Amino acid sequence: MDMIGIAIKITILIAYAIIGTCTGLLFMGIGRKIVARVHNRVGPPFYQNFIDVAKLLSKKTNISHGWIFDLALLFSISGILLTLLFLPIGGVQLLSTDGDAFLVLYLLAIPSLGFALGAGASGNPNAGVGVMRALVMMLSYELPFVITLIALMIYYDTTSLATIVRMQSINGIKSWAITMPPFMIAAFAADMALQGMLMEQPFDIPVAPHEIASGPMVEFGGKYLGSLMLYKAIALVAETTLFVDLFLGGGVVAHGNFAFVINFIVWLALIFLLFALSILIAASFPRFRIEQAFGFYWKYEAIIAAISLIWVYIMVIK
Amino acid sequence: MGLHNGDKMMRYEEWSKLARKASKRSLWMVHFCTGCGAIEMPPVMTSRYDMERFGIAPMATPRQADVLLITGYLTVKTLRRVIQVYEQMQSPKYVIAFGSCTINGGMYWDSYNTIKHLEKYIPVDLYIAGCMPRPEGIINAFLELMKLIDEGKARGWERYQKYYDKYKENQRRVFNFEVKEEEKEEKEQKREKNEEH
Amino acid sequence: MLDIIFAELVVAAIITFFVREKLAAIIAFFISLLPLLALLDWASNYGFAIINLGIENHMKIYLAGVTLHLAITPLSWFFALMILPLFPVIMLYSYSFFKENDGFFALMLLSLFATFGILLSRDMLSLFLFWEMMSWSSFLLVYRSKDKNAIMSYLIFSVFAAFAILFGIIILWHENSSLLLSDILNISGKLGFVAIASIITGFAVKAVIMPLHAWAPFVYSKCDEPFVAFLSGGLSKLGYYGIFLFLFSLKGVDILQNYMTNVSWNYLLAVFGALSAFFATLIAILQDDLRKLLAYSSIGQLGYIAIGFGIGTPLAITGALFQAFNHAFFKAILFLAAGIVAYRTGKWKISELGGLAYKMPFTFMATLFAIFALAAIPITSGFASKWLLYEAAIQQKYVFIAPIMLIAGVGAFLYSFRILYGVFLGENRHDSVEEAPKSMIAALFILVLPLIIFVVFPGYMLDLMKPALQAAGIESIAHTKFAIETSLAKYNSIAVLITLMVAMIPAFVIYKARKHRVTSFEDNYLAGEPYELHKPAMHAANNYYKPLKKVLLPYLEPGATYYFEKIYNGIKCVSNAVRRIYTGYVQDYAIYVVLFLLFVMGWLIWI
Repeated sequence: MDMIGIAIKITILIAYAIIGTCTGLLFMGIGRKIVARVHNRVGPPFYQNFIDVAKLLSKKTNISHGWIFDLALLFSISGILLTLLFLPIGGVQLLSTDGDAFLVLYLLAIPSLGFALGAGASGNPNAGVGVMRALVMMLSYELPFVITLIALMIYYDTTSLATIVRMQSINGIKSWAITMPPFMIAAFAADMALQGMLMEQPFDIPVAPHEIASGPMVEFGGKYLGSLMLYKAIALVAETTLFVDLFLGGGVVAHGNFAFVINFIVWLALIFLLFALSILIAASFPRFRIEQAFGFYWKYEAIIAAISLIWVYIMVIK
Repeated sequence: MGLHNGDKMMRYEEWSKLARKASKRSLWMVHFCTGCGAIEMPPVMTSRYDMERFGIAPMATPRQADVLLITGYLTVKTLRRVIQVYEQMQSPKYVIAFGSCTINGGMYWDSYNTIKHLEKYIPVDLYIAGCMPRPEGIINAFLELMKLIDEGKARGWERYQKYYDKYKENQRRVFNFEVKEEEKEEKEQKREKNEEH
Repeated sequence: MLDIIFAELVVAAIITFFVREKLAAIIAFFISLLPLLALLDWASNYGFAIINLGIENHMKIYLAGVTLHLAITPLSWFFALMILPLFPVIMLYSYSFFKENDGFFALMLLSLFATFGILLSRDMLSLFLFWEMMSWSSFLLVYRSKDKNAIMSYLIFSVFAAFAILFGIIILWHENSSLLLSDILNISGKLGFVAIASIITGFAVKAVIMPLHAWAPFVYSKCDEPFVAFLSGGLSKLGYYGIFLFLFSLKGVDILQNYMTNVSWNYLLAVFGALSAFFATLIAILQDDLRKLLAYSSIGQLGYIAIGFGIGTPLAITGALFQAFNHAFFKAILFLAAGIVAYRTGKWKISELGGLAYKMPFTFMATLFAIFALAAIPITSGFASKWLLYEAAIQQKYVFIAPIMLIAGVGAFLYSFRILYGVFLGENRHDSVEEAPKSMIAALFILVLPLIIFVVFPGYMLDLMKPALQAAGIESIAHTKFAIETSLAKYNSIAVLITLMVAMIPAFVIYKARKHRVTSFEDNYLAGEPYELHKPAMHAANNYYKPLKKVLLPYLEPGATYYFEKIYNGIKCVSNAVRRIYTGYVQDYAIYVVLFLLFVMGWLIWI
């Protein structure tokens, strides 16, 4: 019996990984379509990104710069899959029954660090500059994000994502964190942080194609670039899911036997809405300079997040 | 290819047909914009003609790209860069050459410094005639290239590997006054090593 | 047994001073294993369960009318486990590091002697004596750097620390009439507060908590790397050992709290720790000197321990001790690796190095692993300790400290990558460099081992520190072999590791599915420019975080060092003014004598 249970769990895990990848690629395609419509273009078909990945993975020549360069491929895909599997998706968390928000934050760093290593190993100066920008961006957007995260943790008195989701799903939509005034503010700050996490405009500074020739990816081609696209697709799902788990109750609206189907659909709709929002912002804003982005996050966003944290602290102390 | 087993060969062919299908719908290009043709690219990319609907997207570096667009005439100096970019691309890779300058020198037919027949130095898969070609012509050329890829006829990169010596010799004849003898040999060895695949 | 070890250490220190460098290294290596053997012996005799040895089991030394008490305690056992293994490793590393024997090994053995003594001392007098011995032996090691800033700052701060500790000890002795650490402190009110506060301040100098850190960047960046590895890995932990001893084992917290009930003294320590973690991290990001960067990173990482002690809950203290253990190892690896880089290339500036990873793959791998631990990536034990501290801050609802800790954790990525990219990746500028000697590589990989063991079994670490916590009356937190459980959440290391390995499978399939060829560094995309033509500079490590520097520097500029320099200059001014009375003329001195006599006479008459 136990073996069967494990087998089922592994099957579901694989299914989740595949669904996560496919959803990410699909969203990226739809995102391109949305941007095209904003530009008054026709845009590529929604399945364009599947074709792109297939093409990249079937390239005949693949150029590497040594074994450290290859670490990028290995670490990025495995790290981001790991993160995805530790997140509650539609209220269901498969691994680590009491998974932890700090753990997820640090797991998210594994693929980025892997890619940074690969980019650095290529020896291209553009890659070095790109990674520098990516890391400074990370330092920038993490401050407001971390403050909002702590506000949530203090309010719910837990650091476990699963518990946060559970406590928000008691009364369906009414108990979502975003319905409370302090968390509305926090959600705004976190959404801006999400924009930076997704590296969409105005925060696509690290991969600026015309300034630094797409930054860290400058030497990536073939299977390496393909794995980067897969990583980006899964990261998109993982990061939006993190936001949904924190503020939108993980998309949990129903309880019962087959509730997970409804929850899953709601989760999908919510992450799509988040992604569409970030794409719309991206399509209508030009790029910041890195100092401007840093100032934006550490001055305005951090103050907004801090207001929500103080508000929550006063609520909790009472 | 090195596969002698018939079955395996078949499967490889089938697979490569699939790969070609994916490849033709997702042509990422790097454009070498020193010629006058560069001015025709923005309309092709933006809302008037919108090449992204065919899955064609501009890329920042040759490592990521499949198509090299040469938009107009090349001088001796720029040819060298073109070759560098072309060799850094990862096969399968295709070359589209713009305008009459690349075919026969065009209006620079008697210049001492321009390249008249691009085909001599790198394998061109497709030419777009005209001075300059209209954006419709460029879109048309991409569609034509897709057809060629689908039929397995766009084999410029294989040609380049096969006749590598000939191409190198032609290139060397142009660069002769630039490259010293030793450097040349060194470079040759390196390239040969690189292109063994 | 202890007296034999002490005697052997001293004898070996004397012998190593006179023999040739390789022989000295070998002797020092074997001798420095002895204290570890003593630990094993103690563990086999008493096990981990014993709380404290009674006074009858102490080793007593009668010295000029006073008795020094030496015995091992659970707390010192735990700290010995993290500090003492550094010594043989450093000796192994130094086997090929030094070109000639100029007393390094002898002084290191003396430091070991003193360290061992500090950990074993059971009364305040011997603690102070050994502390001073350690300060002086390490001062002599600092003196070898021949750098005026380093020597002076280390001397002044050490003396200050020693006075602060002595001051506190004297008050405690006067009020308590006992120097034994096994007695409960029977002191309260203002005196108790002053005593404990001054002792903590004294230890905080060695523990490099932020306002008292000013000596560290100078010393860490100028001394021999093997010694700095001990200084950052071991000596700073002795500072925290002292803080733990007086705050928790001797219940100094209560004394502080009883005196002023409206101020949370704990919280103050945590705030100082958080400030060191935050500012030191930001300063480390902007450093170009590899050693300075590591020095500031040390200050930042040690700040976390102070935060843990400051928060003071069982969870936080467990996290702090775990962090101390990890830091001892990963920071030693980083300093030793920096030493290897300098040994092979002779350069310290990150912007002048580059591309060493393919030349020194093993050094690179050890460094990478240490950096994973430093940045708390969950594939090393560095994560568990930081996680415990974060949990503790959230549990106590410390809304100021928690975000600062987390953002300092992110900042660690920035300076770690500066090391990785600037030194090991990017353009290779050192064609003739080869891998470090085998003994150095072995030293690095021995230090990596604990980081691997305790990520698979974080529970074992909690088992190890359990007796120390119990002896201080702190309950240990719930855990199994693989998982740690707190009231807020649970961390299961084995789940993370296994999932990572399983997730590696698809990545590996993609990696293996298509062949790749490895190209040379010269074949890089430079906007079509052939590399051979102009050989442009390819390393982007010069002034790496320039945009960040532009934003941050105005806020960081007048640092603590600036104020210490002001104080120093002030004292210098006063001293110069005082020196003017020595004019060199006999008449002036005669007037002084007359004035003095007049003063004495007037005083006598007044009485």
